[in-house]
Order: sequence, then structure tokens, then C-alpha cells
Amino acid sequence: MEFSAPRAIALRGISKAFPGVLANSDVTLSVGEGEVRALLGENGAGKSTLVKILYGLYQPDSGSIEVDGRTVSIRSPRDAMTLGIGMIHQHFTLVPVHSVWENVVLGLAPADGRPLSRGAAAAEIDALGRKYGLEVDPFARIDQLSVGMQQKVEILKALYRRARILVLDEPTAVLTPGEAENLFSFLREFRASGNTVLFITHKLAEVFAVADSVTVLRGGRNAGDFLVRDASESDLVTCMVGRELLLTEGKPADSRGNVVLDVRSLSIRGDRGNKVVDGLSLSVKEGEILGIAGVSGNGQEELADVLCGLRIPESGEVLLDGRPIRPGIPEAAFRAGTGYIPADRHREGLVLDMTVEENLILKNLSAYSRFGFLRMKKIRGNAERLIKQFGIKTPSPAAKVKGLSGGNQQKIVAAREIEAGSRLLVAVQPTRGLDLGAADHVHRTLLDERDRGKAVFLVSTELSEVLKLSDRIAVIFRGRILGEFRRSEATVEKIGMLLAGGMGGAA
Amino acid sequence: MSGHGTKETRSGTIRTLVGERDKSFWTALFPMWSVLLGLAAGGLLMLLLDHNPLKVYGDLFSYAFRDIYNIADIFAKATPLILTGLAFAFAFRASLFNIGAQGQFYLGAVAAAACALAFPQLPSIVLLPLCALAAALAGSLWGGFAGFCKARFNANEFLVSMMSTYVAVAVLDFLVRGPLREAKGEYPQTDVLAESAWIPSVIPGTRFHWGFFLALAVAMIAWIILWKTTLGFRIRAVGRNRRAARFAGMNEQRIFIAVFLLSGAFAGLAGFMEVNGVQRMVVQGFNPLLGSEGIGIAILGNAHPLGVVLSALLFGALKVGGILVTQTSTIPSSIIAILEGFVMLFVVLSYWLQHRIAAARARRRASEGGDFR
Repeated sequence: MEFSAPRAIALRGISKAFPGVLANSDVTLSVGEGEVRALLGENGAGKSTLVKILYGLYQPDSGSIEVDGRTVSIRSPRDAMTLGIGMIHQHFTLVPVHSVWENVVLGLAPADGRPLSRGAAAAEIDALGRKYGLEVDPFARIDQLSVGMQQKVEILKALYRRARILVLDEPTAVLTPGEAENLFSFLREFRASGNTVLFITHKLAEVFAVADSVTVLRGGRNAGDFLVRDASESDLVTCMVGRELLLTEGKPADSRGNVVLDVRSLSIRGDRGNKVVDGLSLSVKEGEILGIAGVSGNGQEELADVLCGLRIPESGEVLLDGRPIRPGIPEAAFRAGTGYIPADRHREGLVLDMTVEENLILKNLSAYSRFGFLRMKKIRGNAERLIKQFGIKTPSPAAKVKGLSGGNQQKIVAAREIEAGSRLLVAVQPTRGLDLGAADHVHRTLLDERDRGKAVFLVSTELSEVLKLSDRIAVIFRGRILGEFRRSEATVEKIGMLLAGGMGGAA
Repeated sequence: MSGHGTKETRSGTIRTLVGERDKSFWTALFPMWSVLLGLAAGGLLMLLLDHNPLKVYGDLFSYAFRDIYNIADIFAKATPLILTGLAFAFAFRASLFNIGAQGQFYLGAVAAAACALAFPQLPSIVLLPLCALAAALAGSLWGGFAGFCKARFNANEFLVSMMSTYVAVAVLDFLVRGPLREAKGEYPQTDVLAESAWIPSVIPGTRFHWGFFLALAVAMIAWIILWKTTLGFRIRAVGRNRRAARFAGMNEQRIFIAVFLLSGAFAGLAGFMEVNGVQRMVVQGFNPLLGSEGIGIAILGNAHPLGVVLSALLFGALKVGGILVTQTSTIPSSIIAILEGFVMLFVVLSYWLQHRIAAARARRRASEGGDFR
């Protein structure tokens, strides 16, 4: 299913390993001249790693890269730029207090040693902007521009450097729908002049909106190549998630008890003051896993924050076993029996410079102290028990956590939070960054806790994970639950529709 | 994990100061190498000044340990340095910077002197603890102000504590020119304290007073607080990962205030030591470098109470020997401050080097595709 046009870029047999994670394994990808190719996959599928290799930010362990038919070695972004590759990062790389033209020329010294000409630079930026519909005032300051305008500046930066091949990492993640439409029309315009585009996404709608072809990655490997005109949404979702993963593990809970978690018309404002959760209600029963499926950034992280007392909601309430939890106090949520496995365990779940035994009591200090003094024997005893129970591989309870592998670090967080969460376990992306073995262990742990009668609230952007573990699945989109399915009713196709932007009925 | 690697790289030199002390033999010797390199660099400077560094160092150490008086003086000089060193080290464990130990020291000194001057008739057994308490309290409140500003307004504690020193200097100036001025009214200083307010000498005829053992006890207390109490646990957790500490339900604002109250108390006690143990009065602008030397000592001592005590003794010896060398030769007396500066510089460089070595090791492990240890 190759394009017939000459190849602008070809990545062959790329492999890249990080400690504990094989990010890319023998990945092959090629994009023809005048082609827009989407790189589709779930979080952790290896998309970002692959484009970072193309842009010289990482070096592959093996494999080769061809640009315009010649094998090249890309040691740094500078090499990539010289070859005509420009990259638009998900997080912009602009200097906020500088003007547009200063940001565009940043790092470019004229080859002949003349001083930079402000007028000439501004004129060229204007010309490029007019040509591609990216009009921006060259003298405006970056921090006065909207996010969409800032992205235009990022693109202008690449075009100013004569980029013929644009690589975009989830370019619409930060854009409004209108801004996204503008971006797509630019991409069409850019392609029409014979240029090449590779963009990362996990939104199906975008693939159909702008791409000619799509490469799907799954678990760091090629999962399929399609021409968009020949592919259906369900083809792509199935390819992304993988059918074999739909096999369920553990016995489905049939004896469900009382409602443990009851969320009533909750509204939350995000860090930028925008409404991220809007009048949302849901409940989880004893012995049940409720999986929240959704593309990242649809309010699920903020929702989990509120459940754990880390964020104060605008309105609505959270009840645990029928009793309201005082909002915004982590201690209150913890005392009520909520355990929390955060997405970013390094930043949120662990103090890496403290020891295993210290991290295991991080939340429950009062149970391990008397008159303000730590009870060392009890702390050690607790650590030895949990190390054994959860199979944490550590040289000693007094070893620092930062020396442990990612999987073992996650086990420490899980061990502590499972102890803390006597009633409810909130897990956000519990397997992010883990290799398959470690991820499987986390999954089994969650199922075990479910079988013990706990309520489990699982947030994951990986549909395969949600489908594998959940008894009930709720799809979240822009802060609302668009649909809820029992696992027996759920299909990748149904959920995929809702994920992609919410056509299809709400249950 | 790649995220792990980048975090390491970003954390930078300063963070490694309190970082994991590597078990390996060579890195354990790093502080020692830094001291030796510092002395070597100072030696080069002496060569430029036409002095034989070997002879100067030989003299310096033979002077420092020449007789019982000088040896005793090392302990006397080390006593306040232990306390200002602890003040910086303790806050540093919470990733806070108390740059204002000098000001807390001054207010502690004034409070101790005021107490002693107000109640000269009290017996030592009452008056000394009273002075110590007053000094600790004054330093504590002055330091606590920086902690409060940090907690309440998210003010930069580095700047607030540093600037508060200038205020403390002005307060000291005012007091020794006004309410606390000596009866003669000649110099900006207080009267000599009554003998009941003097800390007794360990060795009669020397300046080695019992305050040294109080400083050791304070170092011990700092160690116990940090590693044996829930407060210390929270301090270290907030210090190493504020976000995770908040997720675990810890109140970082309260920690900021508690840390500065304690840190200030340590520095305030240094005022008691100097006033009641050595000077026996307060003189305008005395011991102006105690606070900044405390920072260097804390860094050299890896922000660990035991390390602080040992570094303070080393600096004490350098001071005693240095003063005598410069008095008995043509070497300018500033050479001692330069020596101290070189030592601190190499200590900081050695942390940078250790950090580079650790990062290289992590990279090597990563490229071998292996797991972290």
C-alpha cells in the first residue's frame, strides 16, 4: 500500500529501547512527496519516540533513515533542519517575552556574517504567512498571542528554515475546533505545493479530515498501513487496539454490592479557568471496576484529582459510602478510604530520594509514629510485609527508590495506595511507561482488589486497558460522559465512535 | 525510564548536595579532595605573593596546634560556626534557603545580651538558660518571618531571609547606640556582662567554653528531628518532592514555617555562644561573616549535622592558624578568607563532578538496555 510518489522520508527497521521499555521495535515508515501521513496509535505506542528519532532528538539503537532516497544520519535537530525537516512540538518552544520575528529567526545567523535585518525577516514572515494563510503580526509579542497563533509561529519558524517535510506531534491537542480546521487547511495548502507532512494523532476524525495515508503503531511495532480512502473507522480502531487484547482476564464480577463512590453533578474548572468537567455524575459499586475511556485532556485527570482531594470542584459533590467527602483535603479522601495511583508516579507518587520503607508510609505517617517520633521497627515491619506481598524487588527496605526499576517503583505506589484505599482505588494511567510484564502485574493487582470487594475507578487513555479490566466502561468527552456500556455490550467500534468526537447514541 | 534520566540531568549541582552519598570509596573522599585542592589553589596564590606555600601551611598547622590555648581556640571558633552551619543545612534539607543566619545570629546576640544586662543579679544556673532561650527565640522569630512570608505569600525565602539580615544589622546598630549603649556612652557597644552571665570555660584560661558541647547537642537534636521524627520526615519529603508531599496530604506551608523557626533558633543560639561565651558584650558589627561561613560549612558538610560539626572544626583550625600566620609574617590576612573561598568553590565543583559521574553511569546503564540497578 505504498504511495507511488518518490519517497521523501523512509524509516527502516527502527528499534529504540529505554530502560525497561522497548519503545520502537523494527518500525518501518515511509512518506512520499506531496503526501500527508498520519501516525496513529494509543499512548505509549511509540509514536513520539519514532518522530524524535527522525528529528535527531534520539538516536535509534538500530535501523536506518532515508531522506529523498539517500541514507542519512541525523545526529541532532540541526541535521534534521539542514535536510529540510521541521518539527512542531506538542509543547511550544517559543520565548514568551520576545516578538514573533525574534522567535522565528532565533538561532539563525546569516551565513555571510551580516547583522540580522529586522525588516527583511519581518517581510519574509509576512510573505510566508500570506502564502500559506498563516498571517501573524511579526512584531507582536508571543505571550500576547492565542495558543492557535503561537502554533502558527511555530510553523512559520519551520517554514522560514525552508522545511519541506513537516512533522507535527499531536498538533490539535491544544487547539480549539476552529483553530484545528485552520491548521488542516494549511496542511492541505502545504501539501499542494509538493511538500510532505507526517503528523501524530490518536484522534480518528483527524485522520479522515486531512491525511492521505496512515501508519498505525501498537506496542512499539507496526500494526498496519492504510490508504485513508480505503479504510473505515473500525478498521483503524481495531488495528490500534488489537483484537487479541479483547480477551478478558479474571472473572467478571457478578455479585455487586452497595454503591461505594457516588459522584453527583460535578463541575470542575481547570488550571486555565475553563470548564473541564461539566455536571458529571457516576457511581461505582463494591467489587466493580469502572473504566473511564477517553482521549487525554477531556477532564478525566481533573476528575481523579477531585476524588482524591487534590482539587476543589466548582459544584457538585463526591460521596463515599453515602457520606460526602470534604473537598480539597487529600487527608479527608484518604481517611474515607480512597487510595490513589497517580499517572505520574515520579512526580506525584514517590519521593525518589527517600527510601522504600519511607515511601511506603508517605501517606499514613500518624499510624507509624508516637508522640511525633517515627516507630522505626513498625516502619521496617510494614515495608518487609509489603515487599513480600507485592514482590517488590529492592536490595533492602532502606534502599532509595530512585535506584529501582519503573515497575518496582509502581509496585511501591500500588502497595501503599492499596493499603490506604480500603474502599476505593483510583488509578490513573496505572501502566504508563511500564513494560508488558510490569503492566500485567498492575492489571492483576487491580483485578484482585476488585475481587476483594473494593470499588476501582480506572482512568486510561488506552482503550485496550479499559476494555481488558473494566466491568463497566464510561466514555468521557469534553467533561461529560457520552456513553456507558457494560463490558458485555462494549465493542471497540462503539467506543471508538464516541472517543472520536461523540457521534452515536448515549446509553 | 527516560523521564527519570532527564529529571536527573535537570536537578543540577545544588540538588546533589543533599543527594545520595555514593557508597564507593572514591566519591566518599570527594570533600577531602576538595579541601586539598582548595589548599593547593591557595598555595599557588601564595607563590604569586612570593611566599613558600609549604612553609606557610606548615606554620599554619603548627600554630593551630602549637599549644593548649590555640587548640582550645579551634573549638571556640568552631562553636558558632556549627550553629550557623546547622541553620543553613537544616533549611536546605527542605530545599529552602536560609541566607539570613547572620541576621538571626545578631538578634540572638542582642537578645542574650539584653537578658544578661537586665538580670545581672540572677545566678548563672538561671541566667544562662534564660539568655540561651532568649537568643534562640529571637533568632527563631526572625527566621520564622521568612518562613511565614514563604508560606503566606509565596515570597522567595532566599531574598526575604537575605534582606532581613540588613534590617537586623540596623536593629543591632540602633540598640548599641541607644537603649543598650554602654554606661560610658563612648563606643557603640554594650557594657560588659555580669560574670554570672558568662559561659564557663572547659579549660581555664582558654576561650574553649561549654557552649561547644551545647552546639554538639543541638547538632544531635537536628539529626534526631530530621531522621527520627514525623516533622523531619515531612521536611525531607517536602524538600525532595513537594508535589508528592502535597499528594500525600502534607501541608507544605506549615513545614516552611516550622523549618525557618528551627533554623532561626540554631542561628540565634550562635549569638548566645558568642556573646556569653567569648565576647561577653555586644559590639557593633561583630563577627560579620558568621552567616556566610555557615553556608560554606553546611555545603562542605553535605548538609548533614555530623558533616557540619567536622567542617566547622576544620574552618576553626584554618582561622586560628591563619590569624597567627598572617600576624607573624607579611602574608596579607585576607589570604584566609581566600583559602576558605577556594575550599567552598572546589566543594561545589566536586558535587558537579559527582553528578556528572552519576549521570554518565545512568546513561551507560540505559545504553546497555539494562534496568536501573
